[in-house]
Amino acid sequence: MSNIAQAVWVELLKARRSKMPLLTALGFSLLPLGGGFFMIVLKDPELARRVGLISAKAQITMGVADWPAYLGFLALANAMGGVMLFGLIASWVFGREYSDRTVKDLLALPTSRSAIVFAKFVIVAVWSAALTVAIYLIGLGVGTAVALPPASAETFWQGTITIAISAGLTIALVTPIAFFASAGHGYLPPMGVVVLVMFLAQVIAMAGWGEYFPWSIPGLYVQGENLGTVSYVIVILTGVAGLAGTILWWELADQTH
Amino acid sequence: MNVAIETNNLVKRYGDVTAVDDLSLRVARGEIYAFLGLNGAGKTTTIRLLLGMVRPTSGEARVLGTRIRVGDKKPWDSVGYLVETADAYPELTVRENLEAMRRLRPGTGSKAIERVIERLGLIAYADRRAGTLSHGNAQRLGLAKALLHNPELLLLDEPALGLDPAGIVEIRNLLIELARDQGVTVFMSSHILGEVSRLAKRIGIIHRGRLLQELDVDELERNRRGRLVLRTRDNQAARSVLLNAGFSAGITADGTIEVKDNAAIERPDDIATRLVHAGHAPTMLHVEQEDLEHYFLRLVGMDGGNAK
Repeated sequence: MSNIAQAVWVELLKARRSKMPLLTALGFSLLPLGGGFFMIVLKDPELARRVGLISAKAQITMGVADWPAYLGFLALANAMGGVMLFGLIASWVFGREYSDRTVKDLLALPTSRSAIVFAKFVIVAVWSAALTVAIYLIGLGVGTAVALPPASAETFWQGTITIAISAGLTIALVTPIAFFASAGHGYLPPMGVVVLVMFLAQVIAMAGWGEYFPWSIPGLYVQGENLGTVSYVIVILTGVAGLAGTILWWELADQTH
Repeated sequence: MNVAIETNNLVKRYGDVTAVDDLSLRVARGEIYAFLGLNGAGKTTTIRLLLGMVRPTSGEARVLGTRIRVGDKKPWDSVGYLVETADAYPELTVRENLEAMRRLRPGTGSKAIERVIERLGLIAYADRRAGTLSHGNAQRLGLAKALLHNPELLLLDEPALGLDPAGIVEIRNLLIELARDQGVTVFMSSHILGEVSRLAKRIGIIHRGRLLQELDVDELERNRRGRLVLRTRDNQAARSVLLNAGFSAGITADGTIEVKDNAAIERPDDIATRLVHAGHAPTMLHVEQEDLEHYFLRLVGMDGGNAK
């Protein structure tokens, strides 16, 4: 696993030169802006009546316009949107090597394939974490701009911890997506898997088994469900299995693309 | 140790399809070895086997003395390669693509990039995004990536693909120079015998996964068949004269007489004399050597039984 630093540098160059960081940042920044809009709606019943449906929806998820509700919305949106967006990032970072047919140039080098896979995961994790930080900071700005009532330092601390942990859980779950991008040779198979796990996460959570399904767990955590250790272990094991599967695929499978 | 590539009974099967069948070959160091075959003959699979990208079903391959195992890091610091099409990251410039490759090949100095850019004639395109390059220049970039770290061995899959005639000559000369001046071993695949016969020392012909023949370029000349082609004002009558004289003369689709007997090919003047005496003086007569394309198709049994 030598030369990892250089492999990370190469992955960073590829990510920087693409339009993906900008597109994902633009997509994700809609979350705090949307949340801010809900806050405005909640603060002004007159406007709420005029927009009708949205106001009803906002009442269900947040209730009142204050910092705890807004930070809770951000954390939930990050956890659920993250499954999709972080999955999209992993699909791109791994799948593009197959779509652009560049993977063959990474397979017979003095830098090991494991180092390259590891570097890709570093980039996916850093990229996803940076998006989380960005929406959190934008969220603080939007919350201030819509003049939410002042809250205690404890409220902000708790909100920060919740977002950080849920982002960590969601990021750990991108590794199986990377496996499907590699074994499926492109973007589409992993995107299909992302859609499938998002759907299953909803259905399984509604059925009451969410604490055992990896992709339901970040959302349940944010919603304050009392998750047992087993849930965290399931997320960690899923992440490790995805990492090991992806590395083994790159190292051992026949590479014909 | 003078062998750069050695394979012993190498077999690769994908389900029922045998892509490479019992392939045993040796490539000496410093040699340019051409691996010739039609599309789907097993050339690319062989190169992927040599590069440890696919696992052999049975048999083994050794490259620069190292037994190849899928996923190993050795001996790739001494090997440059181009497999199938030359692809690059489209949003990165030519220079950035090379920089990315340089970083993944520790020990390659930053000057190497400018050196290969110049060597492959990419100076004018160095800051162009790879996605905007023509086929020919994308191929040059692929070759530049293979040459970046001054490898001892080059494994090149169809190196002339997409190049214009001037580019083909340029790359051919570059490969000849590398082998002659730096002792670089070149193992290249191609489906055009005429192209490889100008630079390779040895040629291996693969068909349906099997190595049909290995020969030196000199042998190639000897193995090609010749024929005598001639025309008279009455070809049918002239043919009868030759048949009566014991030659196996035939009439080709374009109406000329062709004679494949060695006696005729070696002494065409005797044929001319005989025809003149019979009152059918040739209006055209020449000895042709089987062209490389036909020779190749004859070897792989795809000449439709009409070998010239």
